Amino acid sequence: MTGVRDRNESAWLLPAGPGLNHRLREDMRAFNDGDEVDAVIVGCGAGGATMLQRLARAGWSAVALDAGPFWDPETDWVSDEAGSHHLYWTEPRVIGGDDPVPLGSNNSGRGVGGSMVHYAGYTPRFHPSDFRMHSQDGVGADWPIDYTDLKPYYADIEGELPVSGEDWPWGDPHSYPQRPHPVSGNGDMFLRGALACGITAKVGPVAISNGRFGNRPHCIYRGFCLQGCKVNAKASPLITHVPDALARGGEVRADSMVTGIEVDERTGRATGVRYNRRGREHFQRARMVIVAGYSIETPRLLLNSASHRFPDGLCNDFDQVGRYLMVQGAPQTAGRFDAEVRMFKAPPPEVSTEQFYETDPAKPYKRGFSVQTVSPLPITWAEHVAAQGHWGDGLRQYMSDYVHWSCLGALCDFLPQPHNRVILSEEKDRFGLPIAHFNYSQCDNDKALMRAAQSVMEDILHGAGADEVITIDRYAHLVGGARMASGEQDGVVDANCRSFAVPNLYITDGSVLPTQGSANPALTIMAVAARAADRLIQGSAHD
Amino acid sequence: MSGGTRGRLPLNEANGGGRFPGFDVVGQSKHWDDVTTSVVLARLGMPPDIRFFSAAEEATASALCDQLLGQRQEPRVPVVNMIDARLAENQTDGWHYEGMAPDRQAWRDSLAGLNQDARQSGHVFAQTPWPGQSAILQAVLDLGSHQWHGMNASRVWSLWTRYACTAFYSHPWAWEEIGFAGPAYPRGYKNPGVDKLEPFEVADAKPDQDPLRRGES
Ligand SMILES: Cc1cc2nc3c(=O)[nH]c(=O)nc-3n(C[C@H](O)[C@H](O)[C@H](O)COP(=O)(O)OP(=O)(O)OC[C@H]3O[C@@H](n4cnc5c(N)ncnc54)[C@H](O)[C@@H]3O)c2cc1C
Ligand code: SF4
Repeated sequence: MTGVRDRNESAWLLPAGPGLNHRLREDMRAFNDGDEVDAVIVGCGAGGATMLQRLARAGWSAVALDAGPFWDPETDWVSDEAGSHHLYWTEPRVIGGDDPVPLGSNNSGRGVGGSMVHYAGYTPRFHPSDFRMHSQDGVGADWPIDYTDLKPYYADIEGELPVSGEDWPWGDPHSYPQRPHPVSGNGDMFLRGALACGITAKVGPVAISNGRFGNRPHCIYRGFCLQGCKVNAKASPLITHVPDALARGGEVRADSMVTGIEVDERTGRATGVRYNRRGREHFQRARMVIVAGYSIETPRLLLNSASHRFPDGLCNDFDQVGRYLMVQGAPQTAGRFDAEVRMFKAPPPEVSTEQFYETDPAKPYKRGFSVQTVSPLPITWAEHVAAQGHWGDGLRQYMSDYVHWSCLGALCDFLPQPHNRVILSEEKDRFGLPIAHFNYSQCDNDKALMRAAQSVMEDILHGAGADEVITIDRYAHLVGGARMASGEQDGVVDANCRSFAVPNLYITDGSVLPTQGSANPALTIMAVAARAADRLIQGSAHD
Repeated sequence: MSGGTRGRLPLNEANGGGRFPGFDVVGQSKHWDDVTTSVVLARLGMPPDIRFFSAAEEATASALCDQLLGQRQEPRVPVVNMIDARLAENQTDGWHYEGMAPDRQAWRDSLAGLNQDARQSGHVFAQTPWPGQSAILQAVLDLGSHQWHGMNASRVWSLWTRYACTAFYSHPWAWEEIGFAGPAYPRGYKNPGVDKLEPFEVADAKPDQDPLRRGES
């Protein structure tokens, strides 16, 4: 295997210490709209930036357009919760269904680096069972690829982020390139409680550098990972893939909102994308269009790119676009200790267990959940407390107790369902485009998982000595909406992320995932994109 | 207490006041980076003028937020001005529930709803005595997901508390009350762990003020 630096030099292109390499941006190649680039990528997040870096390295002319800004962590991000609102995708959206999923800060990012700019930093692999859920457990779907197809890409990306953690006993057992971080009060409580309950818990896996990596500094344990890491310790594509992409001739065009994908009616091929930059319409010509705008914006863009040939939305011949969108049930349970935990004094991602990940035949539900430390900061913690019905004096009193609480979060494997989907609303955004309407309803299995996860978290916290536990029901992560399938009637793209309907249109973000397991999705999204890039570059996916 | 010179918030001991004696968040600001410092210290300066709420709405929102956060006297965190600024700039999370207006209109509608409830006792909400206001609010909370003036009550409650808590717990005075040191860059933490403190942190003077145990007594 080649060394990380030989395949991705990003960490060595950054300045020593925090900050960005401004030279790289100033010297960045700039294509013209009229140039037919080899590939135009919509969205420069987990999937899009990985793709850009791979293609640029292979010598392709490639540009990634992102609707948000090209962040400079030194000047644009703050070590403050309320001051970080600009990191989220806050364009208008409607939520509905029996169990509507609030969006915004909870699950969607914008700008170069995508949602990983403010993700927590957990980077577990999916389990082999996630890829054949339907044949194994009779629920959900099977992927057209297997765990083994992704395995080398998991290892590559784990090296590039890099990931730190203990040897991992679950799924396909593996180890990580970096040793585990020391744990704080919250991680310690989790480990104590797990031990008392006979549950195996492990430190990691987190994409936070433990020690210097290239020029990237060590984590300073300041706890603001969800507000963007000013230190450059936590991985996001902004520092892990964009620098190498720029150095290899790739372009990142920020502040560019893609509003439509054009398809030539005669040839049936995509010709480029329409986008709006600083109020002006542009059209970028391209030999290939790659969409990576995340699970809500990707289906919305396809639906908004209807044409004579695709009256119900691009690639939507079989009414698959926007369907099978998934969130993970993410209840958080907190426990109160007489000791001071001060859970804010560490990165929120520290310790996890995947012991409850797989289907347990003794249980009345299929599939399972994982449990991780979460460590909310005061504003998010106040939401927890308010959700218990406390307000006024009661709220202040409860909040004054903050340093005594420890908080765990679960990720429940909610099943993919056809009616959980994005459709277009009648409301329009400021570009005059219909906004996304996102419906969500849980099935009985989903609800059973929420309850089971809560009771395990309560056990762990009681095991550690908590005298009181409280739970808030939340939802995290979004995947699906343009899923990968073996045939065009069951999904939008094939095993190589190529759309069934348009031969030079690819989708390489979280929306292609057919199932989600109980793992945080970013690593898998990057691995899927890296594999699709390999296929493209090798030409095996060429039409 | 040293925070006192900067106007610590009034909170009586029974409600969790005085747990971190001498803890001074702003006194640590020399250890913060410039960008964060300017964002955080701005909250201590003159609050932004009201631009979104009408005068009548401002009065209702002030009474509502005082209730939600138990702010009965000065000095207060200027929560209403902070909420107003967000709404004036449409700095929302973007999403809204199907069948419920986006945040700005939902705020106006729900403030009107409070006045309608108060009118039954012959006042507007802002002029209703404190216990009467509390009772009106508790009744909204108790509705759960039933309808309240054409809106799902729990979604209205969550709209109010989300905005109010975001404003209040972004304020350094509120952090002092809960033992949170605020910005941590570039210094970071060197002493994480159970019952471990940084030199500038202050231990809880009343660690047995467990809200649960107190509820039992
Ligand atoms: C608070 C939070 C915590 C999280 N924690 C974790 C975690 O610990 N571990 C984990 O694995 N995952 C976590 N996630 C989820 C993870 O960040 C996402 O799953 C992942 O980043 C999605 O990758 P993506 O490529 O699909 O989209 P993104 O990374 O979101 O990238 C999409 C990009 O496309 C751009 N875009 C969208 N539409 C357009 C358009 N029309 N034109 C131009 N640009 C467009 C957006 O601006 C964005 O930059 C977390 C997310 C949040 C919000
Ligand atoms: S805790 Fe570490 S990884 Fe998280 S934001 Fe701070 S320095 Fe970055």
